[in-house]
Amino acid sequence: MYRIRFHGRGGQGVKTASRILGTAFFLSGFEVQDAPRYGAERRGAPIFAYVRADRRPIHERGVIRDPGLVLVADETLVAISAASVLEGVGARTAFLVHSGEETQTWRDRLDLAGPVVTLPVAGPHGEGLEARYVGAACAAAAACLAGVVSLGAVEEAVREELEGLADEVIARNREHARWAYGLMEPLRGCVEPDPAHPAGPIPPPGWVELPFEDARVSAPATHAGVTSTLVKTGLWRTVRPVIEHARCRGCWWVCGSLCPDGVIGVDEAGRPWIDYDHCKGCMVCLSQCPNRAIDAIPERDARGAESAGGEK
Amino acid sequence: MSRTMLTGNVAAAWGARLAGIEYLPAFPITPQTEIIETISRWIETGEMDCRMTTLESEHSMVTAAGAAAAAGVRVFTATSSQGLLYGMEMLYTTAGWRAPFVLVNVSRGLSSPITLEPDHNDILAARDSGFLQLHCATCQEVLDGVLVAYRLAEDERVRLPVIVNMDGFHLSFTREPVEITDAAAAARFLPPFDPGNLGFRAGAPLSEAVAVLGGSPYSYFRYQVHLAALNAEAVFPSIAGEFHRAFGRPFPAVETYRCDDAEVVFVMMGSFATKAKAAVDRLREAGEAVGLVRPVMLRPFPSAALREALAGKRGIAVVDQNLSPGRGGVLHTEISAALQGCAGPSPVLASFVGGLGGREIASEEFCEMAAVARRAAAEGRAPEPRLLFTEAERKEMRNLQAIALARGARERRP
Amino acid sequence: MSETRFRTMKDLPAAHLLGTGTAMCAGCGGLEALHQIYDILGEKTVFINAAGCMTLLAIYPYTPFGGSWLYSAMASAPAGAQGVRDALDILLSKGRISPEEDLTAVVLTGDGSAYGMGLSAASGTIERGLDFIYVCYDNEGYGNTGQQHSGATPHGARTSTSRGRSGFPGFKKDLFAVWVSHRPSYAATVVGSEPLDLARKIEKAKGLRGPRLILALAPCPTGWDFDPAEAARIGKLAVETGVWPLKEYFDGRVTFTRAPKKRLPVEEYLEVQGRFAHLFHPRRNEVLLGDIQAQVDAAWREAESQGLPEK
Ligand SMILES: Cc1ncc(C[n+]2csc(CCOP(=O)(O)OP(=O)(O)O)c2C)c(N)n1
Ligand code: SF4
Ligand code: SF4
Ligand code: SF4
Ligand SMILES: [Mg+2]
Repeated sequence: MYRIRFHGRGGQGVKTASRILGTAFFLSGFEVQDAPRYGAERRGAPIFAYVRADRRPIHERGVIRDPGLVLVADETLVAISAASVLEGVGARTAFLVHSGEETQTWRDRLDLAGPVVTLPVAGPHGEGLEARYVGAACAAAAACLAGVVSLGAVEEAVREELEGLADEVIARNREHARWAYGLMEPLRGCVEPDPAHPAGPIPPPGWVELPFEDARVSAPATHAGVTSTLVKTGLWRTVRPVIEHARCRGCWWVCGSLCPDGVIGVDEAGRPWIDYDHCKGCMVCLSQCPNRAIDAIPERDARGAESAGGEK
Repeated sequence: MSRTMLTGNVAAAWGARLAGIEYLPAFPITPQTEIIETISRWIETGEMDCRMTTLESEHSMVTAAGAAAAAGVRVFTATSSQGLLYGMEMLYTTAGWRAPFVLVNVSRGLSSPITLEPDHNDILAARDSGFLQLHCATCQEVLDGVLVAYRLAEDERVRLPVIVNMDGFHLSFTREPVEITDAAAAARFLPPFDPGNLGFRAGAPLSEAVAVLGGSPYSYFRYQVHLAALNAEAVFPSIAGEFHRAFGRPFPAVETYRCDDAEVVFVMMGSFATKAKAAVDRLREAGEAVGLVRPVMLRPFPSAALREALAGKRGIAVVDQNLSPGRGGVLHTEISAALQGCAGPSPVLASFVGGLGGREIASEEFCEMAAVARRAAAEGRAPEPRLLFTEAERKEMRNLQAIALARGARERRP
Repeated sequence: MSETRFRTMKDLPAAHLLGTGTAMCAGCGGLEALHQIYDILGEKTVFINAAGCMTLLAIYPYTPFGGSWLYSAMASAPAGAQGVRDALDILLSKGRISPEEDLTAVVLTGDGSAYGMGLSAASGTIERGLDFIYVCYDNEGYGNTGQQHSGATPHGARTSTSRGRSGFPGFKKDLFAVWVSHRPSYAATVVGSEPLDLARKIEKAKGLRGPRLILALAPCPTGWDFDPAEAARIGKLAVETGVWPLKEYFDGRVTFTRAPKKRLPVEEYLEVQGRFAHLFHPRRNEVLLGDIQAQVDAAWREAESQGLPEK
């Protein structure tokens, strides 16, 4: 059975990617199951989707814990433990990341036993892979790596899954699928189907008795206040608002009130600051600042600058 | 016949479309909403000729559904968890109207705490309402189940509403290859609704759902609901047989998998039963005689078919994705009752509660459940019921509780 | 407005009470209003919530509230407020809690519940004169389930259950008027993009007793289909085009707190939202656009005929 997991952010087309791949497998004569997994979180938050494909009927269900291939549409997710991108990645698992960095950099960084591949952000024409085509590209790459699904099946799947969109959009998606499929040709078939179940003795599940605990602790109630700050919604952000203090006039009541999440505070000098642990990157502040004192910086670059000792 | 990749929700919508439904009273709720959205789109594009009305609650939705069925049209509706409960008064009520319609429930755990993920407590809360219940394990079964449900509901020996149940997420949002039945064949299998003496018409007086005074008429009417439900058990094989002949797919009241020579079997309902199948295959490879028995029909309760399937088994692992506080698993209770007084040596039952609120059941856990049932059979004594819950989960709860119970904790910057 | 702590924007709170890190979408106009409301109502509150997007504010063990919270169900949040308020009164009267420990009961509900399933419980609770504040964030649809139309959906809007060429055929119900017909102590419309107007109204409501309505328009990037950065601009356009009149009811009278001198054409509000895109593409739907403008004009004409707005 092929077990393939896609990771991305809400709104990045991860579900579409899984459906294109699912349909492509199906058109190639496989039994297939595909599903997205959404949590409570929203656009920008990590989500994943998965595809199972087999020659025999599929009885397995639910989240894939032992993937043969993992594809990551947004490289920033790799470092986020809550995204669980690396969960169950084993000796045979192939790992593809959509990234601007060299494949070797990822190999060194992740130190995985299985193959590590990148889908370059440069895109087919070297001018940047547009976010809306990443899904089709990832699906095509997965198809090629599995080696049992033809490019024709992928293109047909793109057409079926995007039915209803403009011809031009479908054509562009197919173009990206062709590009990604072609890029993976040297590694074609490196993902092999895994056996239905792992060999060897079956490990015990590690059950425990659940003891009675009185209702003071066993009711679904939070007795501490303002614990939500422990959740770092800053991880949803792909673009970072940066206040350019030279242009800022200190009218914090504008940006501070309008920020939906209330993450803009004011220091003693009356200057606003942004809590990047929680800022979701909606850019309401940027669009509302009367003095255009807020810049938008891609999160990837901002993190890079941070780790290089830049702006905090 | 060709197959298409469909989610369970879209398969349900196809079932309704092929059934030629005329009326859809609706109300959104996750993870059901895709069903009504799909049908609403088909209505807008003209692919379906059906009236859809969004009510302001499920109480109203089920009322409208029952009322329209009582007025003589073919009705379909869908809901889940809190919605099914909010409509509960009207489930009992409309079943008593003896007006047939089909409701798809997408199973989801119940509040409190509120959750979006699946288990069977919602559907089991409707167990005693008078609605019949079919529990699906695959997206294909959802489509097929809707067609079978109409035949059952509208059969003159039955005339009761039917719930077709599927699990949230694991079927509702999961695509699988589904054969979309040919419309003409579906229409042959399920001809237009014949409402019989149902219906409100000028010139034909009808006072429906009238009150009773005293226990005798009440007993009569309620027991007639029971007898009609029992009739459904009797007519089911012929409907399912006809379905099988028409479409080449079986739709049994009780499914058995690798059961014939099995010593130990799992008993469970819904989509997680396919996980049990995977575990059965794994255990069979390891040389163990294990199988699966899955009730598809829960109301009426297919006692005879279950007894037959379970006869001669030594150990039975009943896996309940529900919990009746103060009793345990509901299916376990029902299976125990069904086996009571059977001839021959009685199997030992091991009760497991798992998969609550979307918790996964791992392959290793099935293997362990089979081992527990086997040991129990050897000892001739039923083990203590068990919740599937691991040390890792307990640690996780401890971590969450440490946050929840840290009074006064508050973290703000700068 | 008389006696207010909020004379200019500078008087608005600089630090915020509602915790960050919640699961609301980036750019959520409802959250924008709620955090402003919470700053003024403060932590001596118990929020009773009806099922909706905001139910996910508190996910075990995380809560943004420094005060209290009780999730009830979709239909019955006002009844939950009734029970909590009645109990607090009992405890106060028996001296089992001190007046300093008392809380204000606040219902937090979406429009789907408020305009529909929860209306009966709300009506009963107003009728009983309960001392509570009712906050409805109105994103004009069942947002949490993917924006199906609700009793608050405006005419012509596309929703996930009205995707045809003319969008939703029904009309938005006037919840403000429904409340006013019950003669509550106070009722006001607000929007998070007008924080000063909002602050004054919350301040005023806080100073009163009895049933009080705060009806907040909640621009919803996810359900209304716009770039999250536009949330505040769309809120402002709702006011400037007259689609969302900012008004209050007090002492038997309705007053307009921020009537635009000259209303912008409604199109300016509609064309920035994907849910109205079908009114402009592939070609303009002049009839529907005209209808929508006419509805807004008629509402203002009616208000003016009653001598309003006068502010
Ligand atoms: C009785 C019942 N029916 C349906 C639901 C599912 N449900 C949860 S939130 C929601 C939408 C509520 O809409 P609204 O009140 O406008 O709040 P919003 O989601 O827009 O924030 C629905 C239908 C439910 N929780 N309970
Ligand atoms: S609104 Fe702009 S200028 Fe005013 S304080 Fe905020 S960042 Fe500075
Ligand atoms: S982008 Fe600006 S407005 Fe949005 S959350 Fe971050 S600081 Fe607040
Ligand atoms: S769907 Fe709309 S109302 Fe709900 S959290 Fe998202 S933006 Fe807010
Ligand atoms: Mg709403």
